[in-house]
Amino acid sequence: MNNYARPDFLVETDWVAAHLEDPQVRIVESDEDYLLYETGHIPGAVKIDWFTTLQHPVRRDFLSREDFEKLCSAQGIANDTTVVFYGDKNNWFACYAFWLFEYYGHRNLKIMNGGRAKWAAEGRPLVKEVPQYPSTHYHAQEPNEAIRAYRDEVMKHIRERRPLVDVRSPQEYSGELLHMPNYPQEGAQRGGHIPGAVNIPWSKAVREDGTFKPPEELRQLYESQGVRPDSEVIAYCRIGERSSHTWYVLKYLLGYSNVKNYDGSWTEWGNLVGAPIEKSVQ
Amino acid sequence: MDRSEALELILDHYHNPRNHGEMEEADVTLQGGNPGCGDIVNLFLKFDGDRLVEITFTGTGCTISQAATSMLTETVQGYTLTEIENLDYRLIEELLSAELVKTRPKCSTLGLDTLKTAARQYQHSHR
Repeated sequence: MNNYARPDFLVETDWVAAHLEDPQVRIVESDEDYLLYETGHIPGAVKIDWFTTLQHPVRRDFLSREDFEKLCSAQGIANDTTVVFYGDKNNWFACYAFWLFEYYGHRNLKIMNGGRAKWAAEGRPLVKEVPQYPSTHYHAQEPNEAIRAYRDEVMKHIRERRPLVDVRSPQEYSGELLHMPNYPQEGAQRGGHIPGAVNIPWSKAVREDGTFKPPEELRQLYESQGVRPDSEVIAYCRIGERSSHTWYVLKYLLGYSNVKNYDGSWTEWGNLVGAPIEKSVQ
Repeated sequence: MDRSEALELILDHYHNPRNHGEMEEADVTLQGGNPGCGDIVNLFLKFDGDRLVEITFTGTGCTISQAATSMLTETVQGYTLTEIENLDYRLIEELLSAELVKTRPKCSTLGLDTLKTAARQYQHSHR
């Protein structure tokens, strides 16, 4: 199918179409657009919303391990279920949900290449019926901190000159874009980027139809900027969703062994008192 | 209206937006957007004195941002500048439900924020 480093973690739309009735497979839609699932979704797919479902209800953090277990159990996801994520915006939040499932130790995970847009463009069915599955007794693992970076680790990364990948747009990276006319950008008091970070926008990893570029192109994209397979890499964006996409590309499509997603991202760093910032524009 | 009926109405506004389109004779036009998620609305307002007599919009983006703006345009026709200035997120909660506004506060209030800014622009230019 493809010659990515870990091809088992990526499936095409025809694979999904062939597994709609497979009881070992749970298809999950994760979108930025909160009501997109309600307009129609892949038959049998359940909805997991990044904001209302995957976040802690009070503090800035993810849902607890216990709540993750409840979520999976309620969606009929067992520990050995193969969970296939897809969504809007080139799978940003599909990758975000994938990353969080890995954080809590789920093993059988896949991304549907091209996401919701490709499925729809191929004229495949979208339905409004919300499926119900028998609940399970899901057991999550302790959080896997090897894939998550916190701000202190980012500071250390800066000092040790290890690779940081800013996957936002060049305008966000340069500090030019903090506000758009008439509407404040969410979150950050300051614009710019983390010192030493290279700018490789997430969008450079995908083709126009939203599918991932071939491995040789991806390899060139990252290695030409000094982000090498043997390095300890931290990716960040604004809130951690676009960097989940890059985390997935580096870890699963290119086989990088040590990649972390800094989910605090610019909404934390750009508000952090005293945090060093580089800007390309004044 | 129960939850599913309310949801159907919102999705109907998304699929069949009311007051949709540009307005050549508008007194003020303004684009509002959220670069974080790509929601854009363009508002076109026509006033008679301090009263909003016509409002249309175009835009792209998520279901909530576009449906909320469509619903807003139906509600505020005929409002005065003062009435527009006094609007806040509670109107959007009435239109969409508090539950939905909580899920995506920025998207749901994009049209309202843009309307209030546009009305202020009109007011300043006609003092």
